[in-house]
Amino acid sequence: MSTLVTLLRLPRGPDPNGRGFDPNSTRFVALCPTTISASTETWTDSVEVGEEQRARSALRESFLRTLIAMTNKQVQFHMYERVEVEARFGASDIDVLNFQVSELQTPIGVQKEALLRCQDVISYSFDL
Amino acid sequence: MAMRQTPLTCSGHTRPVVDLAFSGITPYGYFLISACKDGKPMLRQGDTGDWIGTFLGHKGAVWGATLNNEATKAATAAADFTAKVWDAVTGDEVLTLAHKHIVKSVNFTQDSSCLLTGGNDKIIRIYDLNKPEAEPQEITGHTSAIKKALWCNNDTQILSAADDKTVRLWDRNSTEVVKQLSFDMSVSSMEYIPDGEVLVITYGKTIAFYNALSLDMIKTVDAPASIHSASLHPDKDFFVAGGDDFKLYKFDYGTKEELESYKGHFGPVHCVRFSPDGELYASGSEDGTLRLWQTAVGKTYGLWKCVLPGEFSCLMPNN
Repeated sequence: MSTLVTLLRLPRGPDPNGRGFDPNSTRFVALCPTTISASTETWTDSVEVGEEQRARSALRESFLRTLIAMTNKQVQFHMYERVEVEARFGASDIDVLNFQVSELQTPIGVQKEALLRCQDVISYSFDL
Repeated sequence: MAMRQTPLTCSGHTRPVVDLAFSGITPYGYFLISACKDGKPMLRQGDTGDWIGTFLGHKGAVWGATLNNEATKAATAAADFTAKVWDAVTGDEVLTLAHKHIVKSVNFTQDSSCLLTGGNDKIIRIYDLNKPEAEPQEITGHTSAIKKALWCNNDTQILSAADDKTVRLWDRNSTEVVKQLSFDMSVSSMEYIPDGEVLVITYGKTIAFYNALSLDMIKTVDAPASIHSASLHPDKDFFVAGGDDFKLYKFDYGTKEELESYKGHFGPVHCVRFSPDGELYASGSEDGTLRLWQTAVGKTYGLWKCVLPGEFSCLMPNN
């Protein structure tokens, strides 16, 4: 063969710290609808965008603070299939996929340690 | 004839890659999804192999994965008895469809409105994604685990391959079987080419081509080793196959002649697919990697750069 083929670079591998889907990629920015109405207006109104971002940050911070406040407290979980259980909340994982709880009270007994799947939880409540 | 080619090796999976699928060509290029026994299917840019994201949520090996044409939705089938639908732009899980056994195959209709699933409970299910809480339509008949279920004939019919050594063609509305093919051994893979209605089936060392509407056999080709998967080029001039001997084979579809073969994988090849533009093909292996191979070696495309003699001494590859 008279030609040689070289590689410009190797394919980029996964990021060990996250699950990817870069929100700054052209495709994400173009295709992702946002839930807050300000984002569907033109992006030239930077005041509205700023306000939306502040609201998002406030909501996120508030949620994270509730997780901290819940630690070691008795929490009532309202779940699908008419499941109501109570447990002492331990921690959440980084993606809020699972909650680690202790002394989970179930109709068939008390589970010393358990993981609750967040997607199965409809709501939860606790006393501050 | 063994030739040399530098494939693009995509690492990241920690267990065997058992299925892969390309999207159609979108304004942002085309994309590739890989199903892996590590439970974490990944989305990659199709022409470079660059990782875009990992779909997190399954609790068992992922056996099947697919993308819709626009690469806006993904679906996965797993050993945790669920099929999941994902937003392929954000990576978020959109829907979990509970099944009663391991799910092996998922496939979107052309308009992405319905999802077909099949697995070890031997039942083909059709889910209306606009009404996900509604009970799916069920198609029964297979007597063993279903390996693959695909929409065909403009989404009016369904093709399924199972461990009962049959491939069946079903009518979507009546849920009755229209035609059936029986083999001496289990079919290892099935690919459907809508343009031209061609069905590619592999079993043992054979790659067989059928008319997808009539299930009449077009031709069969035998490979040097047991084949796990094969794919026909969009222009129907070549097909590629891979299997037990870790190699990728490229054949001329017209003459059935073996043209090229490539070593590279460190384990059996489980899946192989041509990209929608036919410029490359991707292979997934027991060794946990995906490799992208050029269809026409020596062409400049994606991350491959063709260099003329005399030029390569001043090329500095940079990451």
